[in-house]
Amino acid sequence: MEGKTTVPALAELPPGLELQRVDERIMTLNVGPQHPGSGHMRIIVQIDGDRIVACDPDPGYVHRGEEKMAEYRNYVQNIPHLERPVIHDSCNILYPYCLATEEILGIEVPERAQYVRVIAAELNRCVYTLYWLAIYGIFLGHSTMFMWPTGDRELLIDLLEKMTGARVTHAYLVPGGVRNDVPANFEDVCLRQVDYFEKRIREYAGIFYDNPILISRTRDAGALSRHDAVALGTTGSVLRASGVDYDVRKKEPYDCYDSLDFETSVMREGDAYARSRVPWLDMMQSCRIIRDALSKMPKSGSVRVKLKPNPKGPEMVSYKRVESGRGALGCYVVSDGKPEPYRVKMSVGSFRNLIALPYLLRGEKLGNMPAVYWSLNYWPVEADR
Amino acid sequence: MGTAAGIIRALNSGAKHLAVKRFTLRYPEEKLKFVGDGYQFDPASGSGIAGYKGRHMLFHDKCTGCQLCSIACEGIAEAISMVKVAEEWKHNKKSIMPQIDYGKCVFCGLCVDACPFYALYMTNDYELSSFTKEGLIYTPSQLAVKPNVAQDSEIVIGERGATHG
Repeated sequence: MEGKTTVPALAELPPGLELQRVDERIMTLNVGPQHPGSGHMRIIVQIDGDRIVACDPDPGYVHRGEEKMAEYRNYVQNIPHLERPVIHDSCNILYPYCLATEEILGIEVPERAQYVRVIAAELNRCVYTLYWLAIYGIFLGHSTMFMWPTGDRELLIDLLEKMTGARVTHAYLVPGGVRNDVPANFEDVCLRQVDYFEKRIREYAGIFYDNPILISRTRDAGALSRHDAVALGTTGSVLRASGVDYDVRKKEPYDCYDSLDFETSVMREGDAYARSRVPWLDMMQSCRIIRDALSKMPKSGSVRVKLKPNPKGPEMVSYKRVESGRGALGCYVVSDGKPEPYRVKMSVGSFRNLIALPYLLRGEKLGNMPAVYWSLNYWPVEADR
Repeated sequence: MGTAAGIIRALNSGAKHLAVKRFTLRYPEEKLKFVGDGYQFDPASGSGIAGYKGRHMLFHDKCTGCQLCSIACEGIAEAISMVKVAEEWKHNKKSIMPQIDYGKCVFCGLCVDACPFYALYMTNDYELSSFTKEGLIYTPSQLAVKPNVAQDSEIVIGERGATHG
């Protein structure tokens, strides 16, 4: 080979291209973008036999330009399309946008609306987590764990539908509160269904989390140390599974979270098992938050501040963060005094957790890839926006 | 806990579910019951009334043809277009009323929030499928009809689990 082909030095290569050593033992495998085990993205894995030597996640297949679209619509018209990236978690993804817009427009949210928002956001977090858990179950070949969360999700979707009028994509949160008050006797129905729901998710431990087959699949798979979790900038359940007690609801409480009684769930192991268990523990805390919010909620009062048509604020910048089902979710809104925002930027948990994937998969067996990949609590559409 | 004991525990927890009632809703025969008659909006208080966001209902005796619903839909779904109607109303000089294309509508209900005259509400009707694209376009006279819905299933939580009763 030497002398015949001229290999250019690295400095001569055009930007963006790199040389790769070809080894006949290494095979490149494309998982996705249409593979059911990848979501709407591609994971390029290089394998040596059964071992992954390198991995390159390739997101971007479901980019919708939500941030650019937001520059052409006024603050209220942005609501239906900004919740589309995660339709299961639509209240949480709208939350930071509403908080930031309220700061720009100078609106004070009524107290009752804050509690209604928190209840809607926590119900949505559970709906999202159950959907994620159902897919995690079927990824690992546990079809019961696909059926149970999908069925129990109906309890919460029913509650959300009573509140908001839609099963998914609620368009419920607006700058200045929520669209409508909860229906009559909602508190009783909500308490009954949330209590039953909590009883149901406790049963998941027996069939799924304490199951030796699951433990042998996920224990020590893709372990992320506490230091690496912080250094890679992961967030949400991935960070908490590595032993870092960080939750935006506790650290920077928004709306009425500082008056509610709950704990953050933290595990120390940092492997795929811990990452799959932390969202389940979070759901228990969500049930606790909902019960507490229902008892502390003012019994009557306004839930929405009346806005002028085409509201506009002064030239200013606002950045707000909330804890979504996938981690810290930030929204940066720039106003230039017009009815439309000058810039809307969403910083999403999914994308930041994906950065950890190449580090976690190196040295793993290919069969562990779905277990590690989906434990990152990643939602492709949200990451691409 | 040993592996065998763990597997037996997992099987046992699944076997208990043989006695749990079926949760599935048998959809075309049974239909979920919703709160109220659909999402409505009260412009006086500036907040909505909880209800399902289904097909719209237009009150011809209240619509003034002000186009606010159509303007609200611009940039969201662009499903509403104002069309000429044959009727003559004193409050509707231009004789225009909204026509809604359900091939585009996202059922966000922001058009209902925009209406200051209590003329546009949403109903519990969600079965809008059609064989043609034109069949999804509802004219003002079609929107005036109150849908006939028979929905009565609710989630009932009993001793043997939750069901759709």
